[in-house]
Amino acid sequence: MTIQETYKTRAKELLSSGRVKMVVGYKAGSTPDRRRPHFIRTPEEADRLILDSACIANLSGYLITEGLLSDEKSVGIFLKPDGVRSLNILAAESQLNIEQIVVLGFDVNNNEITALKGEKAEDFSTLIESLKEHVPQTPGNPLLERIEAMNAKERFAFWEAEFSRCIKCYACRQACPMCYCRRCIVDCNQPQWVNTSSHTLGNFEWNIVRAFHLSGRCVGCGNCDRACPVNIPLRLINAKMAHEVLGAFDHFAGMSQTQEPVLASFKKDDSETFIL
Amino acid sequence: MTRILLRDKLDNCVARWRKAGLTVIGPVKKETFSSYAAVENAAELDLSMIMPDRSIKGLFFPQTEPMLHYTIKKQALDIKDFTPPPEKRIIFGARPCDASGMAIDDPLFGWDYKDNFWFQRRNETVIVTIACTKADDFCMCTSLKLAPDSTKGSDVMLRPLQNNRGWLVEELTDRGRDAFNEIADLLQDGSEPEASIAVVPEKFDLDACVTWLQKTENFESTFWKEISMRCIGCASCTFLCPTCHCFDFQDEGDTYSGIRRKNWDSCSFALFTMHTSGHNPRATQSARWRQRIMHKFNYFPGKFNVNSCSGCGRCSRQCPVDMGITETLQAISTLQP
Amino acid sequence: MNELFEPEIVAFVCTYCTYAGADLAGTSRLKYAPNVRIIRLPCTGRISPMFILKALQKGADGVLVSGCHPGDCHFTHGNYHARRRWMVFRALLEFMGIPSERVKFSWISAAEGGKFADLMNSVTEDIRKLGPFDQYKELIRETETPATF
Repeated sequence: MTIQETYKTRAKELLSSGRVKMVVGYKAGSTPDRRRPHFIRTPEEADRLILDSACIANLSGYLITEGLLSDEKSVGIFLKPDGVRSLNILAAESQLNIEQIVVLGFDVNNNEITALKGEKAEDFSTLIESLKEHVPQTPGNPLLERIEAMNAKERFAFWEAEFSRCIKCYACRQACPMCYCRRCIVDCNQPQWVNTSSHTLGNFEWNIVRAFHLSGRCVGCGNCDRACPVNIPLRLINAKMAHEVLGAFDHFAGMSQTQEPVLASFKKDDSETFIL
Repeated sequence: MTRILLRDKLDNCVARWRKAGLTVIGPVKKETFSSYAAVENAAELDLSMIMPDRSIKGLFFPQTEPMLHYTIKKQALDIKDFTPPPEKRIIFGARPCDASGMAIDDPLFGWDYKDNFWFQRRNETVIVTIACTKADDFCMCTSLKLAPDSTKGSDVMLRPLQNNRGWLVEELTDRGRDAFNEIADLLQDGSEPEASIAVVPEKFDLDACVTWLQKTENFESTFWKEISMRCIGCASCTFLCPTCHCFDFQDEGDTYSGIRRKNWDSCSFALFTMHTSGHNPRATQSARWRQRIMHKFNYFPGKFNVNSCSGCGRCSRQCPVDMGITETLQAISTLQP
Repeated sequence: MNELFEPEIVAFVCTYCTYAGADLAGTSRLKYAPNVRIIRLPCTGRISPMFILKALQKGADGVLVSGCHPGDCHFTHGNYHARRRWMVFRALLEFMGIPSERVKFSWISAAEGGKFADLMNSVTEDIRKLGPFDQYKELIRETETPATF
């Protein structure tokens, strides 16, 4: 049986046994290479489920849809390891009760899809630990390396050009499972810290604030990057910050549901070489 | 008499227009992104794409624009108005859907208060449209009763000739005629076989959709919840749309001085309708998506007698979760009226 | 240009240590560069990165953030939290092309009036050498001009 068929059967079992009230998965999109989120509430709806190597969106953000989990019933969800990590962060930041989530795990590597064993987020902890162990020393992204080799002026000019075309549609924020604030900092206007206008200055500020708020929380799922209608390489900034946080505080986001948020915790011997 | 613009003359045309003081704007493709941008020569133009990622809306209605500068002094208020600096422009190679989008928005910006920012730019700009010879899965102009060679909103329509040789020139307005008189000697009289226009299959029955939308009982239909469940509430559809025109005023500065700006706003944001009291009449994403569809196909035509959609399909093409007007209207046209 | 460039620097300081240190510098009649505008806050833990962005938005050429030495925080560990935040924010600014020479961090206790005066002088001198933050100011200018294409 293909992975898709196995999981279809699994989704149907979960629904018909009443174990979950809904399974969040994928279905066919408007073109052959697109997949769209699929909310399955009956075993029949599970027939339209698709699971293949094109299923790369991180769906975990839908779990915090207002009211979805408030009846304390369980919800099943298809997640790759990055999705499980964001699920862990949501639990660690008290955004949901992880006991209500049944994970249908899978992974996509080099266009190959594999099933992952386990159904609770914690069942994947060994896998996530090994992900942390295998983080490459250098991010290995040619563009990132190019930016790092620049001087400050050139870097500024690079980002100025990228951000100048931002239209502030906030697709990056809305697509991100970690951006769950009821009222985003840019939407707060007493005081208005960040310019809401989409001139380059406002775009610069917005993108700095977004990246800062995701530092040590981003799992690198790429939702923001794929969502951006003007193709700003947002993932680079997040990847860079994840790398910093791992290097400075040995923090790999989303290890467990009890992991302390890196910027809400400290060690007395944290590095402070830069402080005068 | 018909006139022809040959492709190898285009560079001369661009130079001539620029010499005459026009800013030449056209579809430009960068590494990862395409839009309409100012160019210096014809080589910068990319006339082969189906359409740029961004529409021409921003050229008339910028995403952010200063309106006035205010200074509050003791018992006095100083206001300095901004007006767009005069700039004659020619957009070469607009898509028919983009051009018609501007015509759709004209009545909106002029029905009550006449928006000078919009009309000054409209009057100063010549839109030279090239009919489409190709389309993709998201194009849907025919479903909106428009076509890959609609002349709506254009000042000049260029119909591609076979073998990429050039275009048949069809001048539609005085503005367009003036711009092409500038390059009259670069044009050639006569006629040549035209390339075939793109075939865009009709995707939904617009009339059936409109009938359904106009029924009051359908306002509360569970359909809206179902269709918009995966909507994440970003504004990429509205901001890329050539006809979406909502804006917000924002004062940037402090109590005593600053700049009042006009910024794009979107009905898909929760904050769009948020009251000061904290009450939000459109509290859910489904209500916001319903508003977008209703506005485009029910309220706007009710007021201006034209649908607020030109069928470019950008909303569906660029949606992070693969939603869009096409899918929604397709679903509506299958519902019982 | 012969005229000496006078940088504008904003200092966000905690009230218990660095502000008291500044006070000491003043009462000790220590002379230091007048380019720094001090903004007093309860604790470095209260100094949000948004403040730094706001200072740049308002045209500052440099920003200084200063508070109690580790272990001395009036609120026990506000400065430990701040330290992590700065570490991350600094790396981010650096990556965005906002040079770390323009955003500095320090610990100054209530007893270190001399250190305060020296730091104000050296920071002012450093930023004077860097010159005005033209790249950022260009962005600010752009917001004040009508939209063109």
